Amino acid sequence: MSGAVALPAPRGAAGLRRAAPVLMGLGRLVLGLGIAAAVWEGAVLGFGIRPEYLPRLSAILSTIAATPEAYAAGFLRTALETLIGFAAGVAVGVLNGVLFLRAPVLRDMLFPVFVVSQTIPVIAFGALVVLWFGNTLLAKAVIAFYLTFFPVTVNTLVGLQSVDPRQMALLRSFGATGRQVLLRLLLPSALPQIFVALRLGASLSLVGAIVGEWFGDTTGLGVILLQAMYTEQVTVMWAAILCAAVLGTGFYALVALAERYLVFWGAEA
Amino acid sequence: MPEPMDATSPLLELRGIDKTFGAVQAVRGLSLSVPAGEFVTVVGPSGCGKSTLFNMVAGLDEPDTGGAMRFKGRGCHARELLGRVSFMPQRDLLLPWRNVIDNAILANEIEGADRKTARAKALRMLPEFGLTGFEAQYPHQLSGGMRQRVALMRTFLFERELMLLDEPFGALDALTRSIMQRWLLDVWERHRRTVLFITHDVDEAIFLGDRVLVMTARPGAVKLALPVNLPRPRPAELVTSPEFIAIKREILAAIEEESMKSFQSSGMAA
Repeated sequence: MSGAVALPAPRGAAGLRRAAPVLMGLGRLVLGLGIAAAVWEGAVLGFGIRPEYLPRLSAILSTIAATPEAYAAGFLRTALETLIGFAAGVAVGVLNGVLFLRAPVLRDMLFPVFVVSQTIPVIAFGALVVLWFGNTLLAKAVIAFYLTFFPVTVNTLVGLQSVDPRQMALLRSFGATGRQVLLRLLLPSALPQIFVALRLGASLSLVGAIVGEWFGDTTGLGVILLQAMYTEQVTVMWAAILCAAVLGTGFYALVALAERYLVFWGAEA
Repeated sequence: MPEPMDATSPLLELRGIDKTFGAVQAVRGLSLSVPAGEFVTVVGPSGCGKSTLFNMVAGLDEPDTGGAMRFKGRGCHARELLGRVSFMPQRDLLLPWRNVIDNAILANEIEGADRKTARAKALRMLPEFGLTGFEAQYPHQLSGGMRQRVALMRTFLFERELMLLDEPFGALDALTRSIMQRWLLDVWERHRRTVLFITHDVDEAIFLGDRVLVMTARPGAVKLALPVNLPRPRPAELVTSPEFIAIKREILAAIEEESMKSFQSSGMAA
């Protein structure tokens, strides 16, 4: 490996070298989005697609620009529900994983229950949650949580179980306590697996929040979507979809960025 | 009777140790003693229970009841040795998310040492381990020989009277290995720890050790304990001297005998 022999470069140069590909990537992303927008706009105009089927991108954007407060409020509300549900799902999922590793009896008892819970369609579950929690922000967060905690539990457990037993033996030979083994070896080792679930959870929790809003509320992207559907305001519907896409992509990108930063060593054995 | 605690009692003493895993007896009637400050190497045919011996001395496996294990002149259970010997397994087992310095101080961190002090100490040790300038690098950026040196540094920084090295150079190429052997002797002569060193390489065992223990085929026991009265520091060309060859011949004969035994017994079983 040639990289091993090279002396570490000075900080500034390294920073610049690392920033350059990021800037290039960003440039390509903007270019790609620009092309997609142009194709959309051009196709609607060129093929004479009626706005009931697909409005022009510029029309959707000007709809948002006409009442930006409504979309901003909806965006923030949905983002909040998603984030709370996701955070709770991740916390509970990781905790479950650790618990199941330490107490296999508990795993054998609870795991089947979790699996059954996941086979209930989210719509049916949503109705129940609204009965229990009413039309509150909490109800939506609970649905987002319900979709997130299971993949995180499974992947945390898989990650914790795949730790090299020789590495465990080494830490024990140093006299490490169970807590030290967990914090210094098990959880960091499981991180790549956990992040696979976090990326999945990022998209699922948004679905949960939007579906939750359909059971009744006054603000949120799901509410805008539903109202637009009933009143056949196609452009408004597309505006809500666009906002949801921005929210979903942004959230996913944040999780992926955190992964890149935290799991920098890659899937090295 | 009070336990003898004079300077002449060995640092580690095993007497009549057995260890069985299910139906397999890995070690039977194993006895050995390691005086303080000595470099003892262990060779033997593959599967002779060398690693079982190490895992017991590291405190990871408890021997069957019946034998006696003494550390610093006092009888003890294997598990009492956890955290009391510095153990280096075959693979370097560096944590990929920790850089060179933080991997080196892992054992110190676990025993509750102040991280800053430990880091400063490790930083001062870098030149001795040929790692100057690499303190902030991560394991995946290092070559095999460097990773092994980081693991050795971790073992040295965990300052215990007894160091257990399990084929630390087994995965290295011949040239790197001979450089590392001379380097290890150099470091050892300055730090003077008691070392128990497993290898399957007879040359390595003689070149490094004050005493070579040859193990029998499974179930493992000590077949032969041969002192190596070659002067230190030992130059690389020592391996071709007549004294060295004479010792090597004796050890190879003993290993050969044991290998044939295990070969025949497995042949009969088949």
